[in-house]
Amino acid sequence: MTETSDNTDLVRYVQIDESLCNGCVLCMKACPTKAIRVRKDRVAHIEGVCIDCWECVRVCPMGAIKAITSDTLDLAEKDNIIVSPSTVLYSQFGQDTLPNDVLLGLKRMGFGYIHDQSYTSEIFNLAIELYIKENREKPNAPLPFISPVCPVVVSLITYRFPSLLGHIPPLVTPREIVAREGKGRLAGKHGTKAKDIKVLHITPCPSKMICIKEPVLLEHSYLDVAIGINSIYEELKNNIRDVEDDIVLHHSSGIGLSWGMSGGEISGMELKCLAISGLEETIHYLEKIEMGLLGDIDYIEFRTCTEGCLGGPYTVADKYQAKHNLQKLIHMFGVETRVKYSYVKKLYDRGWFITDKSPGYGKRELPQLTPSEISKGIDRQHSIEEILRLLPRKECGACGCPDCATFAEDVVDGRTSLQSCMFLTLYPDFSKRF
Amino acid sequence: MANLVNSFSIKARDFAKAGENSLQIQSLLKSIGFEPELIRRISICAYEAEMNAVMHGGDGELLVTVDPKNIVLEVSDDGPGIKDVKLALREGYSTATPEHREMGFGAGMGLPNINKNADSLAIDSSDGRGTRLRIKFKVGDG
Repeated sequence: MTETSDNTDLVRYVQIDESLCNGCVLCMKACPTKAIRVRKDRVAHIEGVCIDCWECVRVCPMGAIKAITSDTLDLAEKDNIIVSPSTVLYSQFGQDTLPNDVLLGLKRMGFGYIHDQSYTSEIFNLAIELYIKENREKPNAPLPFISPVCPVVVSLITYRFPSLLGHIPPLVTPREIVAREGKGRLAGKHGTKAKDIKVLHITPCPSKMICIKEPVLLEHSYLDVAIGINSIYEELKNNIRDVEDDIVLHHSSGIGLSWGMSGGEISGMELKCLAISGLEETIHYLEKIEMGLLGDIDYIEFRTCTEGCLGGPYTVADKYQAKHNLQKLIHMFGVETRVKYSYVKKLYDRGWFITDKSPGYGKRELPQLTPSEISKGIDRQHSIEEILRLLPRKECGACGCPDCATFAEDVVDGRTSLQSCMFLTLYPDFSKRF
Repeated sequence: MANLVNSFSIKARDFAKAGENSLQIQSLLKSIGFEPELIRRISICAYEAEMNAVMHGGDGELLVTVDPKNIVLEVSDDGPGIKDVKLALREGYSTATPEHREMGFGAGMGLPNINKNADSLAIDSSDGRGTRLRIKFKVGDG
């Protein structure tokens, strides 16, 4: 890929603290878009396209990589705030804490309005089914359809698998529907202008913050701000009480609750579905789809975090413990949907679920190459292969590039020099031995 | 005119490695910067052709030639060849063994899929003489 330095206009949410970075190569090796290099100053730099997958943050042994989080909302004015937590939040407080207890805890914290996302997620399950049944028989239907829910997957497809953009159905995700409807309903009820009402999303995942500012699947996000589960955890925990309360804020069955874990989105769907989680597996399966495989599957739920959103970086509970908690809740609330098909069908026919933007297109679209550009590309490829033949293929990363192939590209593009290869410098005859 | 020729070897019945050549071709084309839709069509053809050789063919070679006007895949194997090329191009026609089907292959879509995604396909094969496919894609309006 030649798209590195052209992307400086994009906002960077992940930042590397140079004073803490020890110049090891772990983040560089982990980056799925090969965006990181360790340069002469022995500090890691993000030079390419960041898709906010958080792998670098997870692997950094120095704690040197951090995210800029959006904290611009004044939480003192809680009356005008709708809080809409990710369903993952329900899994964080042990198996005896019910979703309604968690939502009441948020109310006790002083937020004006609490909106449960699990019920909308359950509605969304049926909407996907409707969309796919309507579209899968069409000639050249882009099967399998790919879930629009995980923002990292959408970014990954935009930058690394752009030919698969058409596989993402143009549907608005549950978190955005909750925000849109919440604002609309309150504005209608109290006459407050919708713009005065802010929607706060409590999230296990930093990429949600980013897609509020730069939504890929919508023109504008209906959410205003997102905060990590970890940043309100203690205060919320202190507000969760085991008391009888007749206010019911949670309405979904186990289907809606299961969204937090891998396989939750497709649970209960009458379609041929797969749920795939983890970044490496996600990339592997996207490669398969790009080769025309899995065309007999209707829908794939991808989550780049292992075990799904429960494995998100902003969670507090251990992901396997949280999964167990969630499974208990799912069992308790049952897997029979509480959503009426006829109701969802009516909403669907009204276009309630359809986004106003086709995914990823716009500024990220790649232009078609002219013959002379292709010639240049071919010449560049020749040079890359020539250099690759010299290299030891140890994939060590000591040169500051994630692997030998990327090093060869960087040399050809003038971003580094052949002397940066430790093997070639120490053992000039190295390549002859192979 | 600049062109690039890359050759990959195919090993008969090596299902564990099957598909890797297609992946490499895919990343080569991405690296040059071709448009995603073209790469998708080429990947599908490369994969299907590679799998056909792995399943039915014998050891063989996958040759990719890139120039500013065309991308050509040439896939040759020394397998048993195709008895009836016309029949093999029909969707759903398959000579896959039960073993192939157990692995999820053999739906009879291999050659039809290539035919559908390529700009031109030439098949040179007959019973007992191996198979050569020449799959051509036009670049841009070329």
